[in-house]
Amino acid sequence: MTNIVEVQGLQKKFGKVQALKDVTFSVAAGEVVGFIGPNGAGKSTTIRILLGIIKRDAGNAKIFGKDVWKDSLEIHQRVSYVPGDVTLWGNLTGGEIIDLFMKLHGGGDQKKRDELIRRFELDPKKKAKGYSKGNRQKVGLIAALSVDSDLYIFDEPTSGLDPLMEQVFQEEVEKIKDSGKSILLSSHILSEVERLADKIVIIRQGKIVETGTLDELRHLTRSTITLATEGDVAEIATVNGVYDFKQKGNQATFAADHQHINAILVKATELGVKKLEAVPPTLEDLFMRHYKG
Amino acid sequence: MKEEFARWDTLFVQFLKRDWKKIMVWVLGLGLFSAGFVPAFEEIAKDQGLLGMFETLQNPAMISMVGPTPIETAADYTLGAMYAHEMLLFCSLFSMIITILHVVGHTRKEEDLGLMELVRSFQIGRHANSLATFVETVFIHVILALFIAVVLISFKADTISVEGSFLFGASIGMAGLIGASIALVTAQIMPTSSAATGSALGVIGLLYLVRAGTDVLNVDLSMFNPLGWTYLTYPFTENHWILLVCGLVFTVLLSIIAFVLEGGRDLGAGYLPQKEGRGNAKKSLLSVRGLLIKIQKGVIMGWLIAFVIMGAAYGSIYGDMQTFLESNEIVKQMFSHSDVSIEESFTGTIMMVLISLVSILPIATVNKLFTEESSLRLSQLFATKVTRGQLYWTSIGIAFFSSVVGILLAAGGLGSTAMAAMEDRSVMSIMDFFAAGYNFLPSVLFFTGLAAFALGWAPKLGKVVYLYLGYSFILNYFEGLLDLPEWLLNTAIQSWIPRMPIEDFDVRTFIIITLMSIALMVIGYVGYRRRDMIEGI
Repeated sequence: MTNIVEVQGLQKKFGKVQALKDVTFSVAAGEVVGFIGPNGAGKSTTIRILLGIIKRDAGNAKIFGKDVWKDSLEIHQRVSYVPGDVTLWGNLTGGEIIDLFMKLHGGGDQKKRDELIRRFELDPKKKAKGYSKGNRQKVGLIAALSVDSDLYIFDEPTSGLDPLMEQVFQEEVEKIKDSGKSILLSSHILSEVERLADKIVIIRQGKIVETGTLDELRHLTRSTITLATEGDVAEIATVNGVYDFKQKGNQATFAADHQHINAILVKATELGVKKLEAVPPTLEDLFMRHYKG
Repeated sequence: MKEEFARWDTLFVQFLKRDWKKIMVWVLGLGLFSAGFVPAFEEIAKDQGLLGMFETLQNPAMISMVGPTPIETAADYTLGAMYAHEMLLFCSLFSMIITILHVVGHTRKEEDLGLMELVRSFQIGRHANSLATFVETVFIHVILALFIAVVLISFKADTISVEGSFLFGASIGMAGLIGASIALVTAQIMPTSSAATGSALGVIGLLYLVRAGTDVLNVDLSMFNPLGWTYLTYPFTENHWILLVCGLVFTVLLSIIAFVLEGGRDLGAGYLPQKEGRGNAKKSLLSVRGLLIKIQKGVIMGWLIAFVIMGAAYGSIYGDMQTFLESNEIVKQMFSHSDVSIEESFTGTIMMVLISLVSILPIATVNKLFTEESSLRLSQLFATKVTRGQLYWTSIGIAFFSSVVGILLAAGGLGSTAMAAMEDRSVMSIMDFFAAGYNFLPSVLFFTGLAAFALGWAPKLGKVVYLYLGYSFILNYFEGLLDLPEWLLNTAIQSWIPRMPIEDFDVRTFIIITLMSIALMVIGYVGYRRRDMIEGI
């Protein structure tokens, strides 16, 4: 697989603040990469460097094998971008702005545009100053999704959208994904990333702290197990790899290390299993582990 | 009924707490502007100044701008009469405009912002907010009127009587209340707050234009104009208090209408439907140029109209130039040069003034690109194949175009009115005016170049270019008055340019300044291409 986006050792300083210290990751062809991290971690800065809006201080960043700063125009012909805070010209209507963005990008599909306007339930004849945050975001999304690109960069694209519209967005992204396009999706809505992303990149304080598929990341952490036994469930607490043990009658809930799962199950069968539920860690658990710890 | 206004007093107190700084600035600013020019007028009135002014202001063009005076002969024209004649109409207009912005800001704007929804969820009556706003406005204008009167009286000028001072202040206060009641009505009718502000200002503009016509044709007709109930009170001369009663009745009636209208509408909606915009963009919008023109069209048109009016205003003086200039030592010193006609020497100076004004527009156009950038509106455009060069040079192009048209309109406005005013006594042709105007084109380009340079290398300093413009304007304006050293004068770009038609055109200077300006633009471009875009960071 060839890499569409290739970022290596990216650094950026704003005045005295080192916004990016070491950012390295890649997006392969046809891959959806979830880019997550708390506010101020450097997500938007990284994306702005990728778009050639700001210049990196050190490191390498390439899209389609081309330098993001020097060859930005060639790159932009095949890139669609939606910022997290779409701001619009108050005296233009949503429809006008969508048309303008499509024209300036080139290669837009009028039919697709009208369909998206319908699906996102946007009133294109309203002046942008009358739009809510969610509606402004829709304008950005419709413009980006109506043109044909090879790489889609979304920076918290669904902020302000209601769950129904979030659903529409996710369906549209799946369509793009199915047609083999690459997507870099920065988001706070972890269920969205969980659903769409093949790979996850976690950034913290300007550094990439974790990269991998959701499965790979899950392995690094613990599952939550609920267990009820005939014998005294308290004995489980003594097994290696059991954490946060909580008991209620003969039922217990605890976190279990994946490499010790066998020992735990052996002990459980000794006690006679009445009920067993194992929940893999959610992305939220992963996220919290990285940010709190 | 009482329920409808429930707790307006709570809101009123809240408004005062929220607005007290604004109110201070409003009362001090407008108050000092309205009353503080007495010493300057005393200066003008010296020698034969009153006579000169009286003659100048008899010109129909001037009457249509500043209004009439009840005085019939120059001998009766006093300082007080002149002060009211020249100041009252404009101060009344300002008072109305500020009040309209304030009233709509507290009513419909807060509905549009969704603040009102929260407020109304408490035990607050439907009309409580409007009533609180209205009472606050009355409160502000009573203070403003008294403040103006006290400032006027404090100058202890002979013809500025105590009664006239109070009437002068009260007229400006009444103007504000009339504006408030108009705004209160449009706030109920219009679909959005910006439409409410726009239509209220439009009504004022229309009233101003109508009175310009009736003032010239028959002043009695202006008495039917709400705007007429302010400046036609003639403070310091005839003191027509009765007109203020008309204003008061009008304000009360209009406010009652506003409250009735408010009773029948939904929160956040007016009586007129929201105008539907275009579902698809026009072809002319679909380019960087189309976009940049579209978002600046209003501002550019506004300034261009202002240039014509400014030009025409100065042009109308040419008829009585002799009287005007001879009337006053200071004025004479500023505008006179030996061995050329006063008209020509006046043209040289006034063209510098006009073209300095014209320079504001290209600076604003170039600075606008940075405003767009920092407000994040271009983020999605940066990610398309639009180049930074396209954005930069299109902005410069629009700036250049508006400079050329601006000079054309300013010089044309000045020239054509001047020619008309001088009738067959003219010593100049219209071409002389255009030549004098375009002679200053390099200075306009230079300011554009400075703004472009700032945009490329230090975009936050774009506003400093205005300061330099103001600085170099002042140096040039008072050049003849103060004995300034050569090197100081030379720090202003306009000083390098000869004053046509009294001085000869200088090709070398013209080309050198133009080339310097182009260099600034190119250097600016180099910076713009390589710097980080600043997006609210």
